[in-house]
Amino acid sequence: MTWDQILFYIVFASQILLLSIVLPRRILARMQHVRETYPPADYPKLYPDPAEKYAVSRFVFQLAYLAVAGLGFVIMLLMIFVVDHGTFAADGFISEAWPAGYGMVQFLPFMLLEVSEFRQFRLMRQLNTRTTRKAELRPRRLVDFVSPGLLAAAATFFVGCVVFDLYAHDWVISWGHDTVQRTLTMAGTNLLLVAAGAWNLHGRKLNPHQTHADRSRQTRIVLRSLCYISMALSVFLVTQAADDIYRLAHLNAVLISLYFQVIGMLSIGFTVKCFETTDVDFDVYKAEVAGA
Amino acid sequence: MEIIIDIEGTEPLFAQLIAQVKKAVQDRSLKPGDALPSIRQLAGDLELNHKTVAKAYRLLERDAVIQTKGYRGTFIHPDAEQNCGVDLGAIAAAKLTTTVGELRGAGATDSEIRIAFNTVMADRHQQGV
Repeated sequence: MTWDQILFYIVFASQILLLSIVLPRRILARMQHVRETYPPADYPKLYPDPAEKYAVSRFVFQLAYLAVAGLGFVIMLLMIFVVDHGTFAADGFISEAWPAGYGMVQFLPFMLLEVSEFRQFRLMRQLNTRTTRKAELRPRRLVDFVSPGLLAAAATFFVGCVVFDLYAHDWVISWGHDTVQRTLTMAGTNLLLVAAGAWNLHGRKLNPHQTHADRSRQTRIVLRSLCYISMALSVFLVTQAADDIYRLAHLNAVLISLYFQVIGMLSIGFTVKCFETTDVDFDVYKAEVAGA
Repeated sequence: MEIIIDIEGTEPLFAQLIAQVKKAVQDRSLKPGDALPSIRQLAGDLELNHKTVAKAYRLLERDAVIQTKGYRGTFIHPDAEQNCGVDLGAIAAAKLTTTVGELRGAGATDSEIRIAFNTVMADRHQQGV
């Protein structure tokens, strides 16, 4: 086993632990904390489904992330003891397809959770009996939530990445060239991030009980997270461009594994850390007092 | 500044929106030049049809309470405070009351007045005014 391989297995183990153990457990702990501190009896609007359903959802999520973690360790054992990397990848190094493919699977439990959350909000809206609706009479503008400096930094990273890629490839621009492919990938991903940002900023209010302050705080966190993800993507693609001039092919698998970890931290980790439950106004989920 | 609408209230939703914007201007919670949310944002936040909010904005713009500045958005009109007092509905009702009184005085029956009114309104729609 080479030093590159040892390094990869350490980083890959960290990917398994971070995305399939640490982050899901933090989310579960948060769910547990909310349920204990704000029980269904006192905060019925927070739980539109029957109690048993939450236990099932929790169990399914737990099972999903543990299964994915187990799969990760099986893949790692296969890579160490069974797979012949010399013939598996054309360049003879550990293929980046391993951490990339597995990384995508690791995000599945979180997507499951997200879908479940959308369902909860839909139920909340259906059960919402209030006839009055409130809105802030002022526009939500991007710069109210994200500093112009951060936006400029994300844009600079994007342009910097393209310029570096062109520099690394002697300013060659031709259809099908790696530089063009990377630029298109980055532009497409950034467009998706912009769409997600616009949806958070101007989209429909999903949670009918959420206060303006909580929604603003959530929007601020999500938009900042999207900016950081865009910057991380640029940095990652710079490393891919640098691969051709600095001969980093042996580190590709390590880099993509780190990339997935950074994305997980910047999206899920950042949101969980910044959006403290103590800052949320849970009073809106209390039962309405008759005649109030 | 918060806007609250009652979806089961007797007053039409667009009228509630207009009344609250005008009240906010009169209370000076909204000052000339203050930006208002886009139609899409307000409709999304209040879970209303876009057309309802668009109608309210259109009538507020007609009354010079708000003004739209292209892509920059919608703002409170510089003369909004004095224009809020103008109620075109009340003016129309007062004029019609006088006219109907004159017609009755001249011997016209209510059904004749109603048919004449409907004819005038229909002609207006046909002319696309």
